[in-house]
Amino acid sequence: MPRIELINVTKRWGNFTAVDNLNMVIEDREFITLLGPSGCGKTTTLRMIAGLETPTSGKIIIGEDVVFDSEEGINVSPAKRDIGFLFQNYALWPHMTVYKNITFGLENLKWSKQDIEARALEVMKMLKIEEFRDRYPAELSGGQQQRVAIARTLAPRPKVLFMDEPLSNLDAKLRGEMRTELKRLHTDTNSTFVYVTHDQLEAMTLASRICLIEKGIMQQYDPPLTVYNKPNNLFVADFIGNPTMNFIKAKLVEVVSPKEVVLDFLGRKLLYTAGEELNLTEESDLTLGIRPEFLPIVDGGALTGTAYSTLPAGMETTIKIKIDDTILSSVVFGSIDYAVDQEITFNIVGDGIVLFDGHNRVALGSAKVL
Amino acid sequence: MTERVQSKDKFDFGKFFKKSKNTLKAFFSKSYNIILVVFLVILSIGVILPLFKMVSDSLVVHTRDEAAYINELWGQEVKKGQFTLMQWPTLLFNNFKDIGMSAGYSTLIFWEPLLHSMLMAITACVIAVVVGGVLAFLITRTNIPFKKFISTVFVFPYIMPSWSLAMFWENFFKNRSVPASPGIGLLQSLTGICVPEWVVYGFFPTAVVMGIHYAPFAYILIGGILRNMDANLEEAATILKASRFKIIRRITLPIVAPAMISTILLVFASSISSYTVPAFLCKTAPTYFLSLTMRSSLATGKFGEGYVMATILLLFSMIILIVNNSFTRSRKRFTTVSGKSGQISKINLRGAKWPIAIVMLVFTVFFAIVPLISFVLESMMETAGVWSTFTFKYWISKTPTINDAYLESRGISTVGILLNPTILSSFGRSFIIALCVSAICGTCGILIGYAVSKKRHSKLANFVSSLAFLPYLIPSLSFSAVFLAVIKTEAFKFLDVSTTQKEISAVIICIIVGGIKFMPFASRTGTNAMLQLSGEIEEAAIITGCPWGKRMTKILFPIQKSSFISGYLLPFISCMREYTLFVLVTSSLTLATNVMEYLTRNGATPIANGINLLIVGFVIAVNLIVNKLTGASIDKGIGG
Repeated sequence: MPRIELINVTKRWGNFTAVDNLNMVIEDREFITLLGPSGCGKTTTLRMIAGLETPTSGKIIIGEDVVFDSEEGINVSPAKRDIGFLFQNYALWPHMTVYKNITFGLENLKWSKQDIEARALEVMKMLKIEEFRDRYPAELSGGQQQRVAIARTLAPRPKVLFMDEPLSNLDAKLRGEMRTELKRLHTDTNSTFVYVTHDQLEAMTLASRICLIEKGIMQQYDPPLTVYNKPNNLFVADFIGNPTMNFIKAKLVEVVSPKEVVLDFLGRKLLYTAGEELNLTEESDLTLGIRPEFLPIVDGGALTGTAYSTLPAGMETTIKIKIDDTILSSVVFGSIDYAVDQEITFNIVGDGIVLFDGHNRVALGSAKVL
Repeated sequence: MTERVQSKDKFDFGKFFKKSKNTLKAFFSKSYNIILVVFLVILSIGVILPLFKMVSDSLVVHTRDEAAYINELWGQEVKKGQFTLMQWPTLLFNNFKDIGMSAGYSTLIFWEPLLHSMLMAITACVIAVVVGGVLAFLITRTNIPFKKFISTVFVFPYIMPSWSLAMFWENFFKNRSVPASPGIGLLQSLTGICVPEWVVYGFFPTAVVMGIHYAPFAYILIGGILRNMDANLEEAATILKASRFKIIRRITLPIVAPAMISTILLVFASSISSYTVPAFLCKTAPTYFLSLTMRSSLATGKFGEGYVMATILLLFSMIILIVNNSFTRSRKRFTTVSGKSGQISKINLRGAKWPIAIVMLVFTVFFAIVPLISFVLESMMETAGVWSTFTFKYWISKTPTINDAYLESRGISTVGILLNPTILSSFGRSFIIALCVSAICGTCGILIGYAVSKKRHSKLANFVSSLAFLPYLIPSLSFSAVFLAVIKTEAFKFLDVSTTQKEISAVIICIIVGGIKFMPFASRTGTNAMLQLSGEIEEAAIITGCPWGKRMTKILFPIQKSSFISGYLLPFISCMREYTLFVLVTSSLTLATNVMEYLTRNGATPIANGINLLIVGFVIAVNLIVNKLTGASIDKGIGG
């Protein structure tokens, strides 16, 4: 069963390094998302694994086979890697009907006529596109085209399925529906999915593990909730989560015990209790990272600010709180509306408060305003 | 995570060898790299080598006469076959003045013709851009009536051979008051008006005919941009309260400027070296334009002189190219086509609508339809313009229609065109050459387009694409001269029809010359069509294990079928009607155009008109049929 391994994979175009010395292992039947801002090298990574792009150096193994090795001069063609690829713009062949689009690949694999017919019907049924069998892509809506593209990709029963931002051209509602179906398909097809997206919500909801990339360098490679709760660095913490994490500069005031410190936080004293031992000095450039849900608005809270702006979304409400010259985000369940500049009191709760030292995470812990 | 494999300090030859082998293997495993390398070789041989040969031939003494002349003139002692720089001053700074010559040799043979050619080319550019541009604007931006008719018929002059317009001009305006003209033209026979000689022959008609011939080209290029231009660009200006006129001047014109420059580039390069139109319209002054003196030099054995002129014409094109490049590079290239584009509100011409339409209609009919009628009439009258001599004999007579011992002695039959072995076999050769050239150019265009679009921005791809574009800038007559130089060499003399006396030699060299000369449009069409296809379309097929050949024939070609077929159509049409390009490497019997020119020169005007009609009718018919069947059209070939 295919396990994908990337060893020291690097891709350069002239002086520009798109992917820098990437090492990662994708286990069989995982659903991996490659996540990052646009231009970070995620699509390049996917295309290198698929064989559509040739790495500058490194080694790629799919299952038992080395499909690429710059040292040995091995470069297996995409066709022989037993993979499927779903393109961002679907890449349906406009001059072929839905049925031809699906069966074209099977013909290339020299399947028998009956097998082709049977498999085409099967995937069309799976994706509910039987009725469009004889239509041309131009006669289909975006969502239907997407389904045809998926059907075409699934038809040869690839062991590994690569997807390059497949939902980015759909409207928000369809995108939601397709997400559900893709996750379902992952279980049904029993194959490994590698999925590129710049949408963190998509990555969070779909993936079994997220590989977060910035400027060609892997930042974190963990299950979604780990990435969310224990970000490796400021970039990861900032990229994941919406509304984004609150970042507040802090200063060390006093070391109480190996795990406890008092920090200067917006001019107030804050006791930070870490889950692990801390090793801070007064020079440390400290930043506290607090998710909006850890700032609940309560009557008689320890901190007081004013409502800068309220953004009700129905199910939850984002409140921007102004405290001194800093604006913090808080999320509460349900819709509440605060008048502008109304006084609000709130707390810091939970043990998921992140303490950053420059760029690298130092600790995860709880905080209490003194 | 950031561990790196350190390379060994010692140079390991085995490893280096292996690495280079791997790099090469990886490079040639990609079909587009193979295509690029193959075309690099072919085009270098087909374009660069001949150019080199031409320039070097301008530095050699070719004949004993040349040697004697140079020695006498400059006090040298060169012999035939020797290297010399003196060919250049012999042409450029030769003050030799014989009795009866109004000025020095160089002035008469080179400087004056050059000046005339340049002025004529500039006038033709102005006419082409103004006429084509105004029409493009009227068709795309106003509510002028008869749009469909005008835009269909207006391109006829471009489809027709340029000399057929020249022939028409002569047919129409020739009259009794002009001594050189054969018979009386339509104008005189219908109205009795006799226009002065300068309207019939010389600078004025040549410039007008060249300009009108290329006006459709300007129309297609400029119209294509106007049509695809994002409506928002002009709407934004309207909202900012710019007047209509200001929008045209400040927004529309700058955007179509690149298309105007391309038009000027081609029209200038083509006009300055056009041989056929001047040959028809400068009967009274056979050394008036540089192309005419160059042809006569090459035809009368003054090869050195001829190649110097060809090199100078080439330099002109190079300068134009450099100017054009620096112009388009310093300004940004405009992306005028964006996905979303509304219909631009058309200017309402109100009362002026009908007068303008009628002027346009008369204009297009005069230059597109009347010529055809004039060829029909001319080929059916024994004495031009005299209606009582109406006859079908030039088409169907089984006996010679013209008593001309000279033509007969040259083996040229003058029986009715439809039964005439000389004409029919030359037409057949023209057709075969056009077919082969179109197959070569169209196919190479697709391949080059594919490889260039795949390796966009790489140096190799840019170089190959420039090489394929280079023939566009080499004037046809220079190109012909280049290959004349090649077939005069010992190794290639089997392609020289004047040596072998076999037409097959001429056919082969024509296919080679045409195949290279008509490559630019085909490769540009191919590249544009390929660039429109997203890479994913092909990758989706790669993943399914579809081999390269099948991807080309089953996926890429069918999707862009009409563009690719346009890439075949344009070389076919251009080749079918071409004369200048082939004139130096063919005999006077090789192509239909050769026979036609030969007959005109020898006074058999009705038959020449008939052949012209045959070619023009055939080309227009092919264009319409291919257009109906496949949707391909020459405007796609030019505009991409």
